[in-house]
Amino acid sequence: MIWSKEETMNREQIEEMQLKRLKETVKRVYEKVPHYKEKFDKMGIRPEDIHNLSDITKLPFTVKDDLRANYPFGLFAVDQNEIVRFHASSGTTGKPTVVAYTKKDMETWSELIARVVTMAGVTDKDTAQVAFGYGLFTGAFGLHQGLERVGAGVIPMSSGNTKKQIMIMKDFKTTTLICTPSYALHMAEVAREEGLDPAKDLYLKWGLFGGEGSSESMRQELNRAWGIFATENYGMSEIIGPGVAGECSALTGMHINEDHFYPEIIDPDTGEVLPPGEKGELVITTITKEALPLIRYRTKDITTLDYEKCDCGRTSVRMSKIQGRTDDMLILGGVNVFPSQIENVLLHVKGIGPHYQIKVFKKGYLDKIEIDVELIDSNLLEYFPQLEALNREIQSELRTVLGIDSKINLVEPRSLARFEGKATRVIDMRKNEKL
Amino acid sequence: MIIKQLSIFIENKKGHLALVTNVLRKENIDIRAISVFDTSEFGILRMVVNKPEEAVNALKEAGYTAKVSKVLAIQPEDRPGSLNEIFNILDENNIDIEYIYSFVMRKRDMPFIIFKVRDEERAIDVLKKYHIQLVAEEEIYEEN
Repeated sequence: MIWSKEETMNREQIEEMQLKRLKETVKRVYEKVPHYKEKFDKMGIRPEDIHNLSDITKLPFTVKDDLRANYPFGLFAVDQNEIVRFHASSGTTGKPTVVAYTKKDMETWSELIARVVTMAGVTDKDTAQVAFGYGLFTGAFGLHQGLERVGAGVIPMSSGNTKKQIMIMKDFKTTTLICTPSYALHMAEVAREEGLDPAKDLYLKWGLFGGEGSSESMRQELNRAWGIFATENYGMSEIIGPGVAGECSALTGMHINEDHFYPEIIDPDTGEVLPPGEKGELVITTITKEALPLIRYRTKDITTLDYEKCDCGRTSVRMSKIQGRTDDMLILGGVNVFPSQIENVLLHVKGIGPHYQIKVFKKGYLDKIEIDVELIDSNLLEYFPQLEALNREIQSELRTVLGIDSKINLVEPRSLARFEGKATRVIDMRKNEKL
Repeated sequence: MIIKQLSIFIENKKGHLALVTNVLRKENIDIRAISVFDTSEFGILRMVVNKPEEAVNALKEAGYTAKVSKVLAIQPEDRPGSLNEIFNILDENNIDIEYIYSFVMRKRDMPFIIFKVRDEERAIDVLKKYHIQLVAEEEIYEEN
């Protein structure tokens, strides 16, 4: 099912709408946001210089630091009394980045989530358990209001209290699980500890995962563990929160809500726009946001765009799964590796669990990577050499697929950290050494 | 003749043996023999206990990767060269020993030798042929 007609407009209609909205947005930020006026003036750009969509490249980028530098409300294009909702990102250091919504922004947001959850299979007959943390984080409230709009029954569980999550899931006959993929993985494990087979003893049909990227193998793992049809959705608080893009049942990428967000792919080093299909950093311009319009916001997420019409009937451009972030790429002795690639390799190895912890450090001048994985297959305990062989198998897979030399530590089941929100699976000790 | 032994994966870290044996103690399980095969990071803890099935279930429930493995137990004669003879016999018959350890039960004068081979049935046949005394399962589990 397709929620709104905007999802099936032809390219010409989409672009016409985008251009009109882009012009309005540029004019508005020039008039209302001193940060943008200053930048535009310095670059000698006037809002009238935008004649077609490709003129967007004349405009400056916006980065997360611009939000921090203008803390809390410096980038808002409306007065505070027009704001009906605030959210903030989980800044681990210093001030958070604050985002806000007008009444119309809230209307847009829930409409976009309604599209995304519909794409994922959810209807008014479903009961959805939202296991994102409710609070300043946009994830929970974002999904919540869109699910209600679709008519689904919403259980605002928040994250954590996992045993209770399972109990509610069983007793309320939850059909839809909303959380981060890593929390879903952890929950399945807890359900099994409680003596339940999540795929058989519960009623889940849909899993809508977001808040962090995940690999295709992780999806398989989640489908198997829960007996669900798992989809991924994409968003970030600066842009609007969840609702920027989502996967449909064709699973050929996440449909971007293009009538509200204009996407570009750039070379993260040069800032040059890359042609469709090429891999690079996703840049988004919000073209309808009232409270916090952002021009060419650099998401740091690495992806590709596909403009071909999808089998589902939607015409909107699709972004591939996030293949990494420009700031989480690990450089190991000159080899570039994203943690997501390591995850993909590990999830294909039999005998170990889906949880892992990556540690990167320097030994002398050399970059070293150690990966902890949990041994779960007891059949490997028969002869000691079987464990050594498993160790070598993982090492050799990582070497063949990614070109990295690693040390693998087999650890006891349930000994690695579990996450109720976004997972932090990489500890890069080299960063601390520089301080 | 075939003895059930527990094989448990443990990390080579301070306190981990205590954690594993806590589980068995809670279930009132008696350990007859214990041995660890390890590297600097991890190891396989092998134990002969009086209630192997109960023990392995309790360990799995506590989150350990654990299984019941089949091993053989023999009772060598008390004289110089008796163990050497047994090893020679196994070697001549092409039976490879994966690991071996010994233990004593208080009621007996002589230690038992536990060892692991790939083909237990064939090893039993060979040992019987040479009149090596195999230990029955009940003798190991019986009250000390």
